[in-house]
Amino acid sequence: MSFFIPELYILIMAGLFFVLSLAPDNPRRDFGLALFLSAGGLAICVGQAVCGEWAGSQQQLLFSGTYQVDGFSQVFKCLITIGFFLVISLCRKLPGIAEKRHSEFYLLLSVATLALMLLVSSVHLLTLYIALELSSYSLYVLVYLRSGYEKGIEAAIKYFIIGATASAVMLFGFALLYGTGQSGYLSDLMRELPARMNEPVVLIGFILSFSGFFFKLALFPFHFWAPDAYEGAAHQVSAYIATVSKVAAIAVLLRLAALSGGSEKLAAFLIVLALASMTIGNLAAMVQKDLKRLLAFSSIAHAGYVMIAILSMNVLGGTSAVFYAFSLLVMKFACFLVVVETSVDGKNVEIDQLAGLHRRAPLLALTLMLAMFGLAGIPPVIGFTSKLLVFTAAVEAGYLFLVLLAMFNVVISLYYYLLVVKAAYFTEPETEATPVSVSVPVKLLALALILTMLIGGLYPHPFIELADSMAESLLQASGQASGQAFGQAFGP
Amino acid sequence: MMPLHAAQFPFLSLILVCCAGGLLLVLVLPARQTSAIKWASAASGALTLLVSLYLFVAYDQTRGGFQFVEQLEWIPGLGISYLNGVDGFSAPLLLLTGIVYFTGVLTMWELQTRVKEFFALFILLVTGVFGMFMALDLFFIFIWYDVSLLPMYLLIIVWGSTRREYAAMKLMLYLLFGSALILPGLIYLVVQSGLGTFSLPILTSAAEFSPFQQKLAFLLFYVGFGILAGVWPFHTWSPVGHVAAPTAVSMLHAGVLMKIGAFGILRVGIFLCPVGWQYWAPLMGFLATVGILYGALAGLRQTDLKYVIGYSSVSHMGIVGLGLATVSVDGLNGAVFQMFAHGVMTALFFSAVGFIYDRTHTRAIADLGGLAHHMPVASAYFVIAALTGIGIPCLASFWAELLVFIAAFRVYPVYGAVAVSALVVSALFMLRVVQHTLFGPVNEKFAHLADVPFGLGIPRMLLAAVIVIFGLMPFLMYETIQTTAVALINGLP
Repeated sequence: MSFFIPELYILIMAGLFFVLSLAPDNPRRDFGLALFLSAGGLAICVGQAVCGEWAGSQQQLLFSGTYQVDGFSQVFKCLITIGFFLVISLCRKLPGIAEKRHSEFYLLLSVATLALMLLVSSVHLLTLYIALELSSYSLYVLVYLRSGYEKGIEAAIKYFIIGATASAVMLFGFALLYGTGQSGYLSDLMRELPARMNEPVVLIGFILSFSGFFFKLALFPFHFWAPDAYEGAAHQVSAYIATVSKVAAIAVLLRLAALSGGSEKLAAFLIVLALASMTIGNLAAMVQKDLKRLLAFSSIAHAGYVMIAILSMNVLGGTSAVFYAFSLLVMKFACFLVVVETSVDGKNVEIDQLAGLHRRAPLLALTLMLAMFGLAGIPPVIGFTSKLLVFTAAVEAGYLFLVLLAMFNVVISLYYYLLVVKAAYFTEPETEATPVSVSVPVKLLALALILTMLIGGLYPHPFIELADSMAESLLQASGQASGQAFGQAFGP
Repeated sequence: MMPLHAAQFPFLSLILVCCAGGLLLVLVLPARQTSAIKWASAASGALTLLVSLYLFVAYDQTRGGFQFVEQLEWIPGLGISYLNGVDGFSAPLLLLTGIVYFTGVLTMWELQTRVKEFFALFILLVTGVFGMFMALDLFFIFIWYDVSLLPMYLLIIVWGSTRREYAAMKLMLYLLFGSALILPGLIYLVVQSGLGTFSLPILTSAAEFSPFQQKLAFLLFYVGFGILAGVWPFHTWSPVGHVAAPTAVSMLHAGVLMKIGAFGILRVGIFLCPVGWQYWAPLMGFLATVGILYGALAGLRQTDLKYVIGYSSVSHMGIVGLGLATVSVDGLNGAVFQMFAHGVMTALFFSAVGFIYDRTHTRAIADLGGLAHHMPVASAYFVIAALTGIGIPCLASFWAELLVFIAAFRVYPVYGAVAVSALVVSALFMLRVVQHTLFGPVNEKFAHLADVPFGLGIPRMLLAAVIVIFGLMPFLMYETIQTTAVALINGLP
């Protein structure tokens, strides 16, 4: 059970906040405790990943073989707990959530984190489904918690309906896979399905199964919720949806895509989705006024770029998807840090409201600029490295035209990212805007983000090595899993 | 193909360190200390100028190849290394960057608004340009290329003039569209080579690309870098950008940045895809000739001084393109020489116009007139730049243009004839500008303005001196370029 400690820890944290939600309200106590506990969770997760020596193919199966702990899942859990800690660090003031609901907010956030951690380790169709639903339901409620904003409820309902549809479609896909593969274990499916990818039922089963994770990733055609949910939810919740839940979705999509054994038909289908997603996202983002809506459309576009990595279905593709997950986490979080700090009383931030940010808060303006350039994929920011990796993987797989189209998309996206930079650096506010007071911890956080973004762009070697070893461990693990422990104990 | 000679001392990195040191100093100094910031930038500029001059002089023409090579593993997993070197093509361009950097800082000595940020971005831009000219690793070439473009957006939008928002956005989108073609091209070649390295020397010598791969990749590079080089019909960002940018940025922009584009075609396109180069050369020659003629004709009709120079840049960069298109030693020599000469010339041009604009606050040719009467020195710089632009003997661009035209007449007689006749047009528009702004009836409104003080004249004197020195002694430049040009042409399949 020692492999399950990080999850147990987060579970206990959730339980604690459940108890606190019954006690009298005390937002300061809740924040302090959440920050402390999430830091502890991060430490435990990283500690376990470092001491466990997960390099190579070492893996551990739990719960009747439905739950797999390996290097791949552990590093993703580290990313998830990092994101969790970062999002909580934004919650010092939480004007977007009513004060009496703060402990429920932390409770739901912990449960969502727990669910995402379970998700990246799930290797059975049922555990995948349960973990996904657990995370989705926590997030539905979190979106709904936004106070003082009428559109919050609309956003929550939209999010819920599209999410429920996606899950239903995904369940149908799971049923098809289960029916043809005669097993719910991914390892069994792995053995059975690649040879049968030409059968329509298998192909459709895959495509439908992906939909639940397309929803999480906000990939076309399951992207409609993103702009409303980002806009309608409290900033911290949007930040969580934009960063942590995307990371987990990328992890699972990688695992599922590995099941298909590199089918070209599946790849052709995914290419269409990736192109549609990035084009729609980028074109729609150009006309946005609300910064969070803009970030939502940019997320849709980025879902398309990530799909390129996944559909390349080679080792470098895996490496680049992992790296992309990390870089998105950092860059999107940097954007939301600025949103949270510049927002007045938790209201949404219009792009025009960033006017004169370079004087009001130079450090935040710099963070925002780097994050925007990074999202646009311009060197020397981390986003460039991730795009370089993704595109190299795609060219290796023979998709030069796809890379060219994706690069044109990058140029389109540059337009709206530059508009944000222009607002922060060039436009002067009409009325003398209040200076943004930035506390010392936030300054340190911003500095750390700036450094990470620059190091990831200029000297990404260590990050790439880590991502590389993870991608290899995934391939080995899924390759080895065929038969052995899985099949002996729980074969159909 | 090209031998690599390791450096005894990392002079190339020293240039980057000088830039980075200047940048750090500017960032550390408080924003109020504007004169300290200017001195720090000038010191950094002077140091890089000295080092690049040393590199230019110390480049050993008998040994040839890449010299002062320094290498450091960077991302071994992808075959990326920090690899720098100088050859006969990049040595003059590094010197050019040093000159424009130093004189650019001096030209902006009177800047008052947001001084600290201006010089920080300016130095960052220059760092990218230096990096681009010295990098021999495709990854770094691309990184430096973009590092040199990004600051342009802020520099134009914050410190620029006429329609700056439009110009800055147009410029960025055009140039980044160029990089959208370059990056897939680079990745394509690296992956197709199967060598797992981004190192340009290894790829040029060991990789065997099929003719189809070379044609495809060269086209991507030609259009991608060509946008930055102002190749017609992708040039429209350039006059608009020149006009909107502040003086020193125009100097860098026309003087050095457009050379990055031409240099990219040369370094990446021609070195990696010689077959593609020969295949597309007629098209390059055609577009270049149209550019030369179009730039000259468009310049004739402009009413804004900076637009005139902007279009003359399009025309002059066409000469570079024509030289590259001839696939010959003379053509390459002329093209690289022209990059250098045109860089110094436009820097002088914008510097002179910048001074006139700072005093009169107008650049409309119709409003000026008779400036030579009360600002004789300022006018003299302008006249020198104009004469260089026309290609008067004894000034640097004469030799460059001569070489290109000799080669062009040999390979494409028609294009050569058209290009030479376009020179007449460009002489016409240069002289027209000189006549209407410097001579003719005096505009009394500006009669009280003082001439260039000695201190502010230093950058212009320096630029004029460089033009004259290389005009009188072209062999100083020619022989260095020749070293690499001959090796390149001899190595052609």
